[in-house]
Amino acid sequence: MAGLTIETARKCFGSIEVLKGVSIAVADGEFTVIVGPSGCGKSTLLRAVAGLEELDGGRIIIGDRDVTRLAPSERGIAMVFQSYALYPHLSVRENMAFGLRIAKVDKAEIAQQVQRAAQILNIEALLDRKPAALSGGQRQRVAIGRAIVRQPQIFLFDEPLSNLDADLRVRMRYEFARLHRQLGTTTLYVTHDQVEAMTLADRIVVLRDGRIEQIGSPRMLYERPANIFVAQFLGTPRMNILPATMADDGRAALADGRRLALPALAAPLAAGTSLSVGIRPEHVRIGDAPDALAFTIDFIERLGGLATVHLQSAAGGGPIACQLRDDGSLREGSSAPVRLPTEHLHLFDPSGAAIETRGERP
Amino acid sequence: MSLRRWTVTLLAALVALFTIAPLLWMLSVSFMARGEAAQFPPPLLPGDPTLDNYRALFGSFGIGHFLINSLLVSTLATLLALFFTIPAGYAFAKLRFRGRDATFRLLVAALVVPGQIGMLPLFLELKAMGLVNSYAGALVPWLAGIFGIFLVRQYCLTIPDEMLEAARIDGASEAQILRRIVLPLLSPIIVTLALFVFLGSWNDFMWPLIILADQDLYTLPVALAAMSREHVQDNELMMAGAVVTTLPVLVLFLALQRFYLSGLTTGSVKG
Repeated sequence: MAGLTIETARKCFGSIEVLKGVSIAVADGEFTVIVGPSGCGKSTLLRAVAGLEELDGGRIIIGDRDVTRLAPSERGIAMVFQSYALYPHLSVRENMAFGLRIAKVDKAEIAQQVQRAAQILNIEALLDRKPAALSGGQRQRVAIGRAIVRQPQIFLFDEPLSNLDADLRVRMRYEFARLHRQLGTTTLYVTHDQVEAMTLADRIVVLRDGRIEQIGSPRMLYERPANIFVAQFLGTPRMNILPATMADDGRAALADGRRLALPALAAPLAAGTSLSVGIRPEHVRIGDAPDALAFTIDFIERLGGLATVHLQSAAGGGPIACQLRDDGSLREGSSAPVRLPTEHLHLFDPSGAAIETRGERP
Repeated sequence: MSLRRWTVTLLAALVALFTIAPLLWMLSVSFMARGEAAQFPPPLLPGDPTLDNYRALFGSFGIGHFLINSLLVSTLATLLALFFTIPAGYAFAKLRFRGRDATFRLLVAALVVPGQIGMLPLFLELKAMGLVNSYAGALVPWLAGIFGIFLVRQYCLTIPDEMLEAARIDGASEAQILRRIVLPLLSPIIVTLALFVFLGSWNDFMWPLIILADQDLYTLPVALAAMSREHVQDNELMMAGAVVTTLPVLVLFLALQRFYLSGLTTGSVKG
């Protein structure tokens, strides 16, 4: 096994620059998820690590080998594709054995490796079937099995769950986590699904427009997003953002003129400075308190157990979402006192970058 | 509804009858005695069926020799065409190289030029290379037909790139990918292409006539034409020759027509 280092990776397709100098270091055995909206360059980055795309600049280092100019098969990687990319004319066994047979590995050794991988993935009963006779989840397992058999230093996954239905996706997510614990292989996993990223990753890389927005543990990214993009990309429903300006009393004045107490800032802001105040829906409280703001309940999405309440400010401020346990007491159209707890506020400057605050987040 | 179906079936049967009638009569005449077919009105069936015409064909005329010539040329043409056309079609569909699409467009554009126009320049070229009056010269037009390349390319386009990339990661060389992944997937189109080339080269008359001077090298259609100059009155003998010429390919086509048709339609529809 080995770590992976990507150094200032650049890639252009024609005149479009899809990777604008991306650097990532993945530690040995780490599960790193690259997440971002479609077109952010995440798949291109993964394909560059695999050797399927040639970089226009930068280096890729696996272990202590510079593999930038090596062929895919010489890099010690295995890749699982979104479409599984199984060979339709070969049985599951032959699919999994293909790479080893190309490498002219001893037959008994191949049989042993295939058996081991099949055991890990619970697909021993399927070994003699053709891919066409498998369900989506089974095909996914075979594709993973083909990767395991190669005993790679790095696993690469390109949106492996996006072709599965919602229920199966949850089960396979759990499988991925279990598999990684069992094998401990360094993994680079690409997805556009922030839930996959949050649940699977040791570390998340948020990519946008070919640039890294932030790298960190899921918890860190969730609690201390570096900018509005990351703050809103992770978490559903997304973080509420309220435009505001610094008032002279050290509080923030919302668009409708109401004041909001802020957490202690690392560096003071001058009165009149504009900023954005962010708060996650699950931190918004509904209930009477001295500092409550009056909102009107616009619409309630009842999910059974949980509900998302969309609130409109009586004074015309932007709509905010609030997530809470649904006890059935709230009514659409009624007014509600809303509290935005100071300790849960995130502050961003006009460029979208986070403004540092002091103190731990609860 | 039922009446309409009957009408359609009847019409189809009529068309089929018109199509097959000459072939059946060819078969019938080939068993007639000399001069029998020239009577008026011409008889539909031989009065006293005989194999004399076939004996004459294989005996004094030695058509067996030409049959073997034709088999040899068509088999070689088919093998060579597959050997060159499949990799070419695959490359045009799936490999990235400079000028790929421009070259392919040029080839497709060349499809509209009738083959006859190329015959004289090709003949002069082959003459300069010393290939006139040899099977090498007879085989040249079949080596890499544009239609075949087009057919293979269209079919290859339906193979997902990710499958080839998976094979590349598995360590397969480009040749191994072609042989072990692409070729098995191409089997329907290979049957179509093989049949297409085999039938085409078997029935080809013009090019072997131009390029082959030595009578020993003649293929069946050319030999048959030479025979007809000599035996212009012997309808029965000529029909027996026609039967020997058409029967092998007819049987081959009927046996493989299901693959042939499926090969022609797949690739056009993705799925």
